[in-house]
Amino acid sequence: MKRLLAIALVLVFAVPFSAFAAETPKKGGSLIVCVGDEPPGLDPTASASAAIDRVVYANLFEGLVKVDRNGRLVPGLALGWEISPDAKTYTFRLRQGVRFHNGEPFNAPVAKWNLERGAAADTKNAHPEFFRQIEKIETPDDATLRLTLKEVNALFLFQMAEGDAVMLPMKGWEDTAARPIGTGPFRFIEWRRGDSVVLERNPNYWNPALPHLDRLTFRFIKDPSAQVAALKAGDVDVLGWILAPEIARGIARDQRFKILSGSSTSEVIMSTNNKAKPFDNKLVRQAMAHAIDRKTVNELVMLGYGTPIGSHWPPITPYYVDLTKKFPYDPKKAKELLAQAGYPNGFSARIQLPAIYPYAQKAGEVIADMLGRVGIKLKIEIVEWGFWLDRIFKQKDFELSMIGHAEAWDIGIYANPNYYFQYDSAEFRDAYQKALRAASEAEKAKWFARCQEIVAEDAVNGFLFVSPSLSAMKAEVMNWWKDYPTIALDATEVWWNK
Amino acid sequence: MLRYFLTKLATLVLLLFLVSLTVFTVLFVLPGDPAQIILGIHATPESLALLRADLGLDRPFFAQYAEWVGNLLQGKSALSIHYKMPVFELVASRLAVTGPLALLAMVFAVAFALPLGIYAARHQNRPQDLAVMAFTQAGLATPEFWLGILLVLLFSVELNWFAAGGFPGWGADAWGSLKALLLPAFALGIIRAAILARLTRSSMLDVLREDYIRTARAKGLRERTVIYVHALRNALIPVLTILGLQLGQLLAGAIIIENVFFLPGLGRLVFTAIGMRDLPVVRDVVLLMAAAVVFVNFLVDIAYAAVDPRIELH
Repeated sequence: MKRLLAIALVLVFAVPFSAFAAETPKKGGSLIVCVGDEPPGLDPTASASAAIDRVVYANLFEGLVKVDRNGRLVPGLALGWEISPDAKTYTFRLRQGVRFHNGEPFNAPVAKWNLERGAAADTKNAHPEFFRQIEKIETPDDATLRLTLKEVNALFLFQMAEGDAVMLPMKGWEDTAARPIGTGPFRFIEWRRGDSVVLERNPNYWNPALPHLDRLTFRFIKDPSAQVAALKAGDVDVLGWILAPEIARGIARDQRFKILSGSSTSEVIMSTNNKAKPFDNKLVRQAMAHAIDRKTVNELVMLGYGTPIGSHWPPITPYYVDLTKKFPYDPKKAKELLAQAGYPNGFSARIQLPAIYPYAQKAGEVIADMLGRVGIKLKIEIVEWGFWLDRIFKQKDFELSMIGHAEAWDIGIYANPNYYFQYDSAEFRDAYQKALRAASEAEKAKWFARCQEIVAEDAVNGFLFVSPSLSAMKAEVMNWWKDYPTIALDATEVWWNK
Repeated sequence: MLRYFLTKLATLVLLLFLVSLTVFTVLFVLPGDPAQIILGIHATPESLALLRADLGLDRPFFAQYAEWVGNLLQGKSALSIHYKMPVFELVASRLAVTGPLALLAMVFAVAFALPLGIYAARHQNRPQDLAVMAFTQAGLATPEFWLGILLVLLFSVELNWFAAGGFPGWGADAWGSLKALLLPAFALGIIRAAILARLTRSSMLDVLREDYIRTARAKGLRERTVIYVHALRNALIPVLTILGLQLGQLLAGAIIIENVFFLPGLGRLVFTAIGMRDLPVVRDVVLLMAAAVVFVNFLVDIAYAAVDPRIELH
């Protein structure tokens, strides 16, 4: 028995090591990555668009802190940081000798200028609040940056790791949207509008071992069947962000390719207008939660590639609590709750689905069927994206909708009663404040868990699943990210095994 | 002739004015805020307000309209919201794809349609005719995107003769660029050939019943001369009309094929621009397309005069 244990232990420790040893990354090569959406400009500090981050984050631009493939915070342009005991002062030790692609040095004054730019009155940043929470910026020397926050914020470092907080050079930043200049492992060559963005290896990258690739091209192909054809014909090497899981199965059968299926931070929810009748009634929302069979939804909409959720928190993000059992699938219970709420015969409602997201339409149809079984008759309406943003998101003129919330750490939207689903709970706001101001890890975990529970208990929205991070690639493409814990297609460590 | 030109020009100007007003009004009242689309759903209200002011979207209707038309008249290009480059340059680069694509498609269409139509007309109601008609029927019933996908599956995925799509750019790789247009142009052309072939056939049949053809035959001209010199010229008039319409339509109507082959063409530009509410792009492209349709029809009118001496341009 002891010997068996010893062998097992040897295996446990040896296998990952030998796997690593066998795979020494090879240098060189060019990689073409297909993504569906072309970014609206290439400046992540002027737009929160996910399409921008998927091209430039960690490839072209870096911030002080980065999110790695496991969702952990790792040093970016900061080598490390210390947090004061009152959790208000962050002292970053900056990397020395880092230069932007145009040769300008990166140092503490540049970092200060970037943070001040984000907080300025005329800032174009989508998240000025990330920077306005900083009360004082000190630069005792070129390699030290000391930030003092107005209030404790548990998410501060994660916010500094977002695309909104990457570092731009003080000269030549004005044209970032068209000609981006960063510090990342790849530098910008060309944006061929309507076709591709071409990057090449930055020979002066601060980590001389990276990147492995010589050239990295992002190609924009929207149509899923055209994406598959491009991969099979060899026009692209990677499908970076597959929105239509049905194409993954066909590719998986082909020996020349492999599929990576991980998890993302995009919670797909049936958005519910908490101020519209009858959805202002908690019992009605809970009845709907019981009427939805999440496992089947995931099977039918995502072919099982997604991960069911019971609250607004992705399982790959720290402090996750599994609440999928909170409202188990139980149509009988759903009918009882509806009767209690005063709708023994159910009611009719309208669900509006954004046309640009195929998953939203499919999920809408599946949900309409499930809710129909407990007497809630849904009328499906497909709407165009601009219309969705205007009527549903801005004017809050809707009953039910369906959308993926892609950003990580976004449960704070439930603390805003004016957000489009109009959830108004003092209890939640209190818990969220406590989580943000928590001084210790244990406190943070406790209050973020509480936030998830409150939102689940109130069945604010129909929590369905987290979108899979599905990617397909040639079998020789190594080290591509399996999970996408942040919105990025980081190719820094990717290499060709051929 | 001069008067004809002037009338046409006046019509063109009036038409463009009406189109510009309509496009502007429609885009103005259309729900959807470019600032929100750019900044995403997590943006703060003040960031949105700042961007809206920056894009000039907070100003009144007529101020915005006047600025747009004023800039156009001065030849000044607005900046695309999405692509951060002057709209004129953007459109020019897209026309370099869609223009040749549409022309090539028409070349394919004519190359198939004319011989087939004439052949069918000469063998009216015989098996040859029926075969041609069956082909055109199939062509009419085939959606072009489906034909495009089939072509990709055969020539790109299976045989690897062509790239599955994309466009390398004329400057970078002229031969590759031409090659990139062959499959989509074929898919577009063959479907249009079906319509043109039917039209050529019926038009030819009409002409062949005319007295002057009987005269030509009676005076002992060779059948080939009768068909290709005497009959074809007149039979071409309705064909030219449709050809002109199709060419104008192809400039904008290749959206679907451009999506299948992910070509950076004009159709896809306007399609994405509408989705992204890239208003400067949508306005200019719609105006350009309206102008193109009018212009192509004008060319067709001139072509009439060339094929039929009885037609004069007044």
